[in-house]
Amino acid sequence: MNHVAPQSLLDRLTRIVGPENCLSREGELFAYECDGLTLEPRRPLAVLLPKTTREVAEIVRACRDHDVCFVPRGAGTGLSGGAHATENSVLIECSRMNRILEVDAENRIAVVQPGVVNAELSTAIAHHGLFFAPDPSSQQVCTIGGNIAENSGGPHTLKYGTTTNHILALEMVLPDGQVERFGNRVGETAGYDWVGAIVGSEGTLGIVTEATVRLTSIPEGVETLLAIFDDVVAACRAVGRVIRSGLVPAAMEIVDQRTIRAIEASVYAAGIPTSAGAVLIIELDGNPVCLDSEVATIRKLCHAEGCRTIERARDEEERTRFWRARKGAFGAMGRLAPDLYVHDAVVPRTRLPEILEKVCEICDRHRLKLANVFHAGDGNIHPNICFDKRDPDELARVMKAGEEILEACVAVGGVISGEHGIGLEKRDYLHLVFTPLDLEPMYRLRESFNPDGVCNPGKIIPTTRFCVESNPKARGYDAVPLG
Amino acid sequence: MSDIACIPDSKPCRIQIPGALVEQHYEPTTPEEVGAILAEATEKQTGLLISGGRTRLHWANPARDISRGLSLVGLAGVDQFEPEEGVLHAAAGTPVREIRALVAAEGWELPLDSPGERSTVGGTVASAVVGPRAHAFGRVADAILGLDVVGADGAVSKTGGRVVKNVTGYDLAKLYCGSFGTLVVVTGAWLRLRPKPAIRRVLSARPEASRANFEACRALGRLASVRALVWNQDPGSAFADVVLELGGSEEGVTHDRDRIAAVLEIEEAASNRIDVLRDQRAEMGREDVVLRARVIGTECEKLARAILELGLHVSIDPALGVVHARGTLDDVKSLLAIRERARTQGGLAIFEVLPDAWRTQLDVFDEAIGTESLRLTLKKRFDPAGILNPGRFVGSL
Repeated sequence: MNHVAPQSLLDRLTRIVGPENCLSREGELFAYECDGLTLEPRRPLAVLLPKTTREVAEIVRACRDHDVCFVPRGAGTGLSGGAHATENSVLIECSRMNRILEVDAENRIAVVQPGVVNAELSTAIAHHGLFFAPDPSSQQVCTIGGNIAENSGGPHTLKYGTTTNHILALEMVLPDGQVERFGNRVGETAGYDWVGAIVGSEGTLGIVTEATVRLTSIPEGVETLLAIFDDVVAACRAVGRVIRSGLVPAAMEIVDQRTIRAIEASVYAAGIPTSAGAVLIIELDGNPVCLDSEVATIRKLCHAEGCRTIERARDEEERTRFWRARKGAFGAMGRLAPDLYVHDAVVPRTRLPEILEKVCEICDRHRLKLANVFHAGDGNIHPNICFDKRDPDELARVMKAGEEILEACVAVGGVISGEHGIGLEKRDYLHLVFTPLDLEPMYRLRESFNPDGVCNPGKIIPTTRFCVESNPKARGYDAVPLG
Repeated sequence: MSDIACIPDSKPCRIQIPGALVEQHYEPTTPEEVGAILAEATEKQTGLLISGGRTRLHWANPARDISRGLSLVGLAGVDQFEPEEGVLHAAAGTPVREIRALVAAEGWELPLDSPGERSTVGGTVASAVVGPRAHAFGRVADAILGLDVVGADGAVSKTGGRVVKNVTGYDLAKLYCGSFGTLVVVTGAWLRLRPKPAIRRVLSARPEASRANFEACRALGRLASVRALVWNQDPGSAFADVVLELGGSEEGVTHDRDRIAAVLEIEEAASNRIDVLRDQRAEMGREDVVLRARVIGTECEKLARAILELGLHVSIDPALGVVHARGTLDDVKSLLAIRERARTQGGLAIFEVLPDAWRTQLDVFDEAIGTESLRLTLKKRFDPAGILNPGRFVGSL
């Protein structure tokens, strides 16, 4: 097992990308020890910053020649450790591949490199009346390559779908160094749906170097509502009523009381009364002539669940204020504790009230600070556990509570990730959802692309079936007493 | 793999497909029976024709070494329907029309627009076939939350789940959807429903068949309440028949109807008009050639014009860039020219019906060049004995 890159490899990589784009000194590598999952930092052997597909392919071939693995990385905002360097790996960071290569506004298509920042694409095409619909919370910094790897969602997934619904074609460097193209500009191919299989594969099937994406028309009208409830369970029930009514809002997001208080004490303050038990943000968009009656319906449904007040944004400024209560949540949680574990699971929407009560019970029992901000319309919960990882006992309780939350979600028909991916974080919990027979076809898919496991090893499913990696202690959790 | 399921007795049938005549088939009633059949077929290296409602059996390359059929119609029924969630689970052999009726009674609609009275859930998933409402419904894969499948080795497994958002593991459902039963046999599916529109209106028009009118129609496809838009035209005709289906709230539909009326001289049409057009596209008829080409929207009219010049009737979804064509051709080179044109315009052309003599000269599917090696590798890993629909898929897989 290598912990230092062989000099001959570094020399070759330096020749490929230039010395300024081949980072290998300890200080340079520090920032790349983890992505948004900070629990298991791992230092890569080196970090490469290629500019072209050809450079990526040459890096891959060089790594193969030296028996070194490689891990693709976008902006490093992922929350499941998908961009962590496992042992004996270099990171291939795609942030310099950040050009929008083509915009075909008439056909609503753009061709981009993987390092293009999500929000920057929407900004660049706004004058065409178009936007790129996937909107993860990190959209100001996360890259489209990362969105593809994780099949990212966001608040507006409810209406617009996740990243997979917006990718038409891909160019990818395969783990053997060959460059391949998948899909086409119409988003339909005869033969296997390679694009569908690659999106969400967390960089384990190859390294995406170009994407043809579908663009969406900016809706003619938007209405944003902020409903205040006495408790989060009532807010969840209101969401159920909206789903059953036949309306399809663009977004339905819930923020609980602890988060509201953190937000109101922070620079993200949105003017929400701290006595509120929960707020439900509902966004409707589409044909303006339809929106008044839809707003009226939403008001009625929320009041039926005891909504205290419901405000309708009067202008863009107020709309931004409402969304600040949602989008500022993670920043505001920094006030609650030094560390934050953002969980991600999905349950049937009708089970939200009971699962939230269960999540609160679990965290109370483990004496943990919990704050909930979640995509209620999708049933996608994000229990956020605020803690201090320097306290080993608290860290162990965090891990135990996280496991119990996942078990509870699966028990009501849910799954263990809705948008953050499996990565390293949840790989050992896949058994909660899938049997070994369910996993076998996943191995077959991965091995078809990545037969020797050199590309992002150890993510999603263990590198080899039933191997030592299934044991948490064998893969570096030793410092974490698992209870 | 099942240890206890028995292989049911095969039954006589007569299924004539390009490359094979199948006279015995199995009709299992459980996934475990499917597993037992597949495990034995793998062991004996016996090719199987996998079928559902048999609405699209003609659409494939010539079969190779198929001796028996495996029909999924014995696995039928909706065993879970949750109106509060807008999801349901159906067995593969369940007719799509039955589900449409079931969910409509609860205010939902099934976003699968596959043609044909006998079309089943499993067949729709395997072929990924869509109808004119794909404009509103999206792809078949978009409606799938999870799949129950049986592998060539007989192993019963599942992928995905029953929730509306999910990134737990590889998205195998995308891989299976449209794979024509060559990787696994689908035995059941969790499907996502859409709210049924409050009102629905169907309009028709007969504009002059000009490029300007076509582009104006294509632009109408972007109106929020337009669920389907079909432009039909016969070769040599100066006019086209246009049908639009609108759905949504009263205000939205009325508003969009007024916008359409400003562009086209419209009249109300029968409420099932889109269903009729959809099903006509799937009819075998007497034509020698039925094809489906798809290109980027701005190139659709040019492609359609080229096909009309060959003497074929066209039925177009302008907003999707899809051209269905049928008729008689003298020369296989004309077909290949259409395919080449579609490719250069960012898309593809699939030949659903062909004279038998032509099937041996070309691939009815149209896979992008370069993925052959991966396709073969994947197929080998999923179906090493090649028992699942051998010969019929892309590249005679």
